[in-house]
Amino acid sequence: MNVQRLRLISQFVFFVLLTYGGLFAIDLGSRMPTFSCAFVPDNGGSCFLIGFQHMLSRPLPEFLGEQGIRLLKSLGIVALWAVVINKAWCGWICPFGLMQDLLTRLRNLVFIDMSRFGWVTRKRYKSVKYILLALLILIPLGIGNGVPGLSRDWTAPFCQMCPARPLMPLFRGDFSEFHIDFSSWPGLALTTIAVILVGLLFTSAFVKRRFLCSYCPMLAVLSLFDKVGFLSLNKDGQKCTRCGNCSRACPMEIREIEEEKTLSNLVTQDCILCLKCIDACPENQALEARFLGMPIYTASAEGFLKRQNVDLLRLKRKKKR
Amino acid sequence: MKAEDKKPSRRERLAKKIKTNLSMTVRELFEQIDEDRSRPKAMAYFDSIFKNFTGGGENVVQVPEGQKVIGTYCVFVPEELVYAAGAHPVRLCAGTYESSEVGEEYLPDVACPMVKSEMGLETMPILDFYQKCDLVALPGSCHWKLKMAEMLEERKPVHVLDVPRIKERENSRQYWLEEVKNFKAAVEKTTGTRITRKTLKGAIRTVQAAQVEVHRFFELRKAIPAPILGRDALAVMNAYFYDDVSRWAAALAELNDELEQRIAEGVHVAPASSARILLTGSPMVFPNWKVPMIIEDLGGVLVADEFCTSQRYLSDMVAMDEGTLNDMMMAIAERYVLPCSCPMFSNTLERRDKLLQLIEEAQVEGVIYHILKGCHPYDIELKMMEKLMQDKGIPMLKIETDYSPQDVEQLRTRIEAFQETLRGRRRVQ
Ligand code: SF4
Ligand code: SF4
Ligand code: SF4
Ligand code: SF4
Repeated sequence: MNVQRLRLISQFVFFVLLTYGGLFAIDLGSRMPTFSCAFVPDNGGSCFLIGFQHMLSRPLPEFLGEQGIRLLKSLGIVALWAVVINKAWCGWICPFGLMQDLLTRLRNLVFIDMSRFGWVTRKRYKSVKYILLALLILIPLGIGNGVPGLSRDWTAPFCQMCPARPLMPLFRGDFSEFHIDFSSWPGLALTTIAVILVGLLFTSAFVKRRFLCSYCPMLAVLSLFDKVGFLSLNKDGQKCTRCGNCSRACPMEIREIEEEKTLSNLVTQDCILCLKCIDACPENQALEARFLGMPIYTASAEGFLKRQNVDLLRLKRKKKR
Repeated sequence: MKAEDKKPSRRERLAKKIKTNLSMTVRELFEQIDEDRSRPKAMAYFDSIFKNFTGGGENVVQVPEGQKVIGTYCVFVPEELVYAAGAHPVRLCAGTYESSEVGEEYLPDVACPMVKSEMGLETMPILDFYQKCDLVALPGSCHWKLKMAEMLEERKPVHVLDVPRIKERENSRQYWLEEVKNFKAAVEKTTGTRITRKTLKGAIRTVQAAQVEVHRFFELRKAIPAPILGRDALAVMNAYFYDDVSRWAAALAELNDELEQRIAEGVHVAPASSARILLTGSPMVFPNWKVPMIIEDLGGVLVADEFCTSQRYLSDMVAMDEGTLNDMMMAIAERYVLPCSCPMFSNTLERRDKLLQLIEEAQVEGVIYHILKGCHPYDIELKMMEKLMQDKGIPMLKIETDYSPQDVEQLRTRIEAFQETLRGRRRVQ
């Protein structure tokens, strides 16, 4: 089976599970490292960032006691989730990823060209997600410790600006989050950003693939577990011809996947484990996805040609009819 | 009309003489090849293409009336663009010794025999299809070729492609993409046909379909004991220079089926005891099959090669992703340059890994490094490759030669000694 189709199915299944799961008494907890938004009523499992920010907005000494243990416990669950399937959270589960991928498919259907970042620009943008992550940690801490200028309105500042908050509840017919908050200045600024980001989600997909993901702080969190995740993306440098097919196909425009000749584990900072690079690789065993060291998907010339010719076969069948 | 006008000029007489000599060379070569009774039957199709080199080569390139023919030199010309415009690409890299003499009028003595041969064929009516080209696409891969482009410009429409020498930079990739777009425009102008998303996609699919057989072929070639001789493998790939891609692929499919059957039945062309050799270095084009003929006559078997006229030519594949015209153009541009192991590039990384991989996969025992006198790119890399083979413990023989038959005996002695070494090593192990 075509891996990209499988991936789409997985994204769909998780979208339904996470967005509507509550209706069927499914609950995967609220410590998930993915943008299944906690603002969705009766969700089947939700994003850990909101709870994380709330937990952080406490006076520092409290973290030495029970609060610290609570925080560690919660982060432990997140880490566990992350270690087991690594970045597949982004490539195979995140509803936000699904939406961007669907829009990309739509763009492909109408043959609109995408654009790519310049190499230097791409590198520079990598730091944005860490800046967001730092703010996401520092602002709640600041609030909890009475840093002047930070109002209580900011408690979960990232949620205020997160595009998932206005968007995801819509799938449950809940429009209450789709608004701009005029009650305070910070509220106004952050909620405006959120709505703009929703707009960007829909427009950017017609220009770039996975545009929002390149800034996502969740990716920054997940990438802490890149090299220890059970799921890994591996490369055999000698078999690689550096043909560039992989990095061209990569929605995150990762260069290392093509350039690297010596490293074996190639789950890089921005990799979302979509495995499109393996689809595009024409060299036998040059790239391989493994779970706990066991190969699950390997690049091959034969497989490459099969994947490339899928619609050729379809054409032939059409002609016969 | 005066009587003198009808008398052929000196050049015409020379052309006629060269044609006769070439025809003789071809006939003699095939007399020798045909003696080998163990060849796969499906080789007959490929033989027929080369047998047409006699008497002016009118039937080497067979295209329907009115179809444009675009000549190409080197592996850097994106053939998909030619197919997409409905034209027929013919690779003009030449191996005829007979025409070198004429080429020498234009080039210094130390020039590579291949460009000499080509200049001869380009400037004198010896082989029909050199005169038939509506456009000649010439990548400036080495300096001989680059200057050849200029010399040809006054005779026929020539399009030069400037291949960047450093592959790893963003700016050189953008530059090359622009070069490929320029070539697209040149093809469109020559053919009067616009290349569209649909035609380009069709062309990519056509070539990919042929590559299915190419990859199968190289896999089968590696079998132990060898089901096909290396010189026949070179011939198969060389035939693609002139043939229609789909017709050629169909013939190759037939050959592959036969090879599969041979392997199943244990039929082979060289016993398991034959030394397994890999050829690399300057390209070899028909009828310059001097070296492979000697190697295999002496009992060795060529199980892989790294020639731009053979295994390097069609191995790499265009990866279509989003299917827009730009996406395909980028994919095509990158396929022709990035994975290429040609020594014209600034580093030898791709070549090293390719060689080691071939050696491993085809269980190669020794490497023969072929240098055409005057072919600088391959000559320059020799020492580095020698060092690499030394480090890996693979014996390597360097052969420096040209198209003349004079050194055959001397080559035979050296190659025989080399094969003896390889056999000796096997005994020790
Ligand atoms: S608003 Fe964003 S960060 Fe907050 S819970 Fe929802 S998805 Fe997570
Ligand atoms: S990087 Fe993209 S896929 Fe991953 S969590 Fe963020 S929005 Fe979702
Ligand atoms: S597609 Fe495969 S062979 Fe090409 S650069 Fe990537 S890993 Fe290497
Ligand atoms: S490197 Fe491969 S798996 Fe990772 S994001 Fe790029 S294409 Fe997907």
